[in-house]
Amino acid sequence: MDELELLKKDWKKQEDALPKLSYDEIYRMMLKKSSSIVRWIFIISIIEFVILAGFEIFGRITGIYDELEMAGFGKGTGIFLSVLSFAILIFFVTRFYINYRNIQTTDSAKELMKSILRTRKTVKYYVFINLTFLGVLMFFMYGYLLFFNEEFLELSGIPKDTTPKIVLIIALLLIVVVAVGTVALIYYFLYGRLTRKLRRNYKELEKLEV
Amino acid sequence: MNKELEHSFVTNLEQNQNIVHKVCRIYTSDRDSHNDLFQEITIQLWKAYPKFRGDAKFSTWMYRVALNTAITLYRKSKRSIKTSDIDTIDFKIKADEYDDEVEQQLKLMYKAVKQLNDIEKALVFLYLEDKSYKEIADTMGITEVNARVKMNRVKTKLKKILNP
Repeated sequence: MDELELLKKDWKKQEDALPKLSYDEIYRMMLKKSSSIVRWIFIISIIEFVILAGFEIFGRITGIYDELEMAGFGKGTGIFLSVLSFAILIFFVTRFYINYRNIQTTDSAKELMKSILRTRKTVKYYVFINLTFLGVLMFFMYGYLLFFNEEFLELSGIPKDTTPKIVLIIALLLIVVVAVGTVALIYYFLYGRLTRKLRRNYKELEKLEV
Repeated sequence: MNKELEHSFVTNLEQNQNIVHKVCRIYTSDRDSHNDLFQEITIQLWKAYPKFRGDAKFSTWMYRVALNTAITLYRKSKRSIKTSDIDTIDFKIKADEYDDEVEQQLKLMYKAVKQLNDIEKALVFLYLEDKSYKEIADTMGITEVNARVKMNRVKTKLKKILNP
């Protein structure tokens, strides 16, 4: 086919007109792997959201929430806590999404560095707020149960009058530390790994900028 | 170790970047999508790089990964090229080098190539790159006979597009 041969000749001539990227430009492109890390952060936060929503529905259907209400927590408290935890989660899922969008559209190293910093900061706030929320919640909930709810003590087999207050306080602290610690550990594996990778990319970008 | 790997990768890619640019040219119609595809191919190449053992030539390996990326990417985005884009292809044909008739013919050919499907484009691309049927077969993971048959079909198809 003559036309194809003609095209082949022309195709070769075009080599000179092809764009030429420098070493640095290609290196930066390679560092765009950051965007996939940020996407993972976004995906994990959505999974977390789904799991929390699952617990919420499960709790409502099986009546665990009603038992809590019977234990002296008003209906209002339960709903307030649910709304608050969902609000926190929705806020951060949105932020993670915005971060992801931003990092995808960036093409300069400087902007990319800014996006990486922003994402790391968002993750830090997210983990901090979630852990604080959990800690405070556990503290007050179990504090109430251990010190003011006799039914709970009876059910748990703790003799109310003979148990010194200090034991109850230690038990309370232990519960809070274990709960917060477990979640912190999960976060450490989920987000910690990803943010460390982001930091490494950041450092590499920094070297390029100098 | 990681740094060395990065350095050897970027150096290799820098030297062979023409291949990627040409793949982008065949598969995209404007500068932005050209850059996007280049970026995507770079990332895919980098991801696959640790598995590149050097038993094939770097450029041969690049052809394969770049074409695979272009083909799968386009499958995903449901072929974003519309006929209206074809007119905006910026294949730079220098007017003084050709007479009008040849120039016209080339323009039509490029348009025709753009209308091929992704696999056919890959074949034409390798053909334009002056690859032997054996190399085309290796790169695309088909037999040599199959490559010949497919290429003949593409030629027929191109003829049909040019002379409807």
